[in-house]
Amino acid sequence: MSVALRDQFPILQRKVNGYPLVYLDNAATTQKPQVVLDAMNDFYSKSNANVHRAVHTLAGEATEGYESCRAKLKQRFNAQRAIITSGTTEAINLVAHAWGRATLEKGDAVVLTEMEHHSDIVPWQMLAEERGIELRYVPVTPDFTLDMDAFAHSLDGAKLVCVVHTSNVLGVRNPLEDIIAQSHTAGAKVLVDAAQGVPHATVDFEAFGADFMAFSAHKMCGPTGIGALLVQPGVFETMKPFMGGGDMIETVTVQGSTYQPDEHKFEAGTPRIAEAIGWTAALEWMESFDLDAEHARLIDLAGWVAEELRALGITVYGRHGPEDAAVVSFLHPTLNSEDLAHLLDARGFAVRTGHHCAQPLLNRLGISGTVRASFYVYNTKEEAEGFVDEIKDIVEKFA
Amino acid sequence: MTFYPEALQELIEEFQAVEDKRERLEMLFELADEVIELPQSQWTDATRVRGCQSEAHVRVEVADGRLQFLSAADARLVQGLMGILTIALDGLSPAQAVLIPPDFAEEMGLLNTLTPSRSNGFRNMYDKVMNEIRQGGVE
Repeated sequence: MSVALRDQFPILQRKVNGYPLVYLDNAATTQKPQVVLDAMNDFYSKSNANVHRAVHTLAGEATEGYESCRAKLKQRFNAQRAIITSGTTEAINLVAHAWGRATLEKGDAVVLTEMEHHSDIVPWQMLAEERGIELRYVPVTPDFTLDMDAFAHSLDGAKLVCVVHTSNVLGVRNPLEDIIAQSHTAGAKVLVDAAQGVPHATVDFEAFGADFMAFSAHKMCGPTGIGALLVQPGVFETMKPFMGGGDMIETVTVQGSTYQPDEHKFEAGTPRIAEAIGWTAALEWMESFDLDAEHARLIDLAGWVAEELRALGITVYGRHGPEDAAVVSFLHPTLNSEDLAHLLDARGFAVRTGHHCAQPLLNRLGISGTVRASFYVYNTKEEAEGFVDEIKDIVEKFA
Repeated sequence: MTFYPEALQELIEEFQAVEDKRERLEMLFELADEVIELPQSQWTDATRVRGCQSEAHVRVEVADGRLQFLSAADARLVQGLMGILTIALDGLSPAQAVLIPPDFAEEMGLLNTLTPSRSNGFRNMYDKVMNEIRQGGVE
């Protein structure tokens, strides 16, 4: 990694409790490079206006800025349809409401996995309660992978398979190509929660073949509050708008309304304009370096940290294979996770503790939470070494 | 009206004199031994502090106008804060106890925020204890 890349993140210059910040909570959210901050600031300073309506210059600039995000998403992910949402959670809820309610009937089955984030479980539980849909959960095996035999057996009569691209707890990337192929053979659509996947490896959505793919900007150096749902053509036309209001209509009369034919029909209300402009800047910025090479560097780093922690008697959950994300979830046998996180924070290290919004997975693993260190493109080998040294010191003094 | 009992005020000053947060956490961890322990066998849903990342349990008993605060937690940090509250509540009447604000944890440089959230075990614990004192504790 070039020093120049790291220097583009102003926040990484700050100190926390008197120590240089070592930010290892990237699976929760990533930091933003200066170009993203500038893009959002420029919009509010120079071009702020609402989109899609007025003819004045600012409105034109705002519309162009907002729509450039959609164009960038389509180009980067090779997708024909990109609905802009508030994030992954809203994108998944959109599938549940716009596609699920239009398609699923009592007795239909939806396949989920125990590895899902709560955002890919709760919307389906809510719909199941409303519609009498059967939910089937694919178990996670002791080697932190999906039980693919159980998956194959779960497909009979399934209408939809919801699967996480890469686990936010384990960093394990699922065998998505196999899952998509088997699901389609069985006649089921596939929704991929790619919130933790696309920050580490870009996806050719058309070739990938999933019917829906959801992800968030803020986990890939973009702003919070914005994300996307990519939808394959053919499937898109079967979705019905569920949120009504401005921007999504074609005409409104007292007798009824007609809707926009394109993605706008799922984007009711004034959208996240500055955020879309910030995300475009982030997506362009991600083209300024070799993401594959960065990912290879980070997974090596994560694998090294995992081995060092194991050598200290710490249990590490995950396998750190070449396609996995650079996430190291761990538990010390005696040191409480919350205490450990506070001690780390006292030396400037930011990590996450808790259930990571994936309680079914943790229940399967027989634990209630982990400490999670997650690495991204600006993290250095020196930071990883400092982290391991700090853990050693804490274990020595407090365990 | 809020107030800090003398023992609590002294503790706050002791913590404020230490610049390094790690040292302050070490001091806090030692105060975990100051709790009147609520044995694990008496942990129930009613004693559980909700929203804590770790297991944390409290029980307030009021007998003859005197408070007894029993507590325990998996995390030394949370139990250390319970220890501070134990010292602070010692000898107080319920009416005096509820005047202690939660701000001491922040003033001691132990927590970054007092905002109630699922990660703020201290705030959830403080609120539960004060609510129980207001309700007269467990008979």
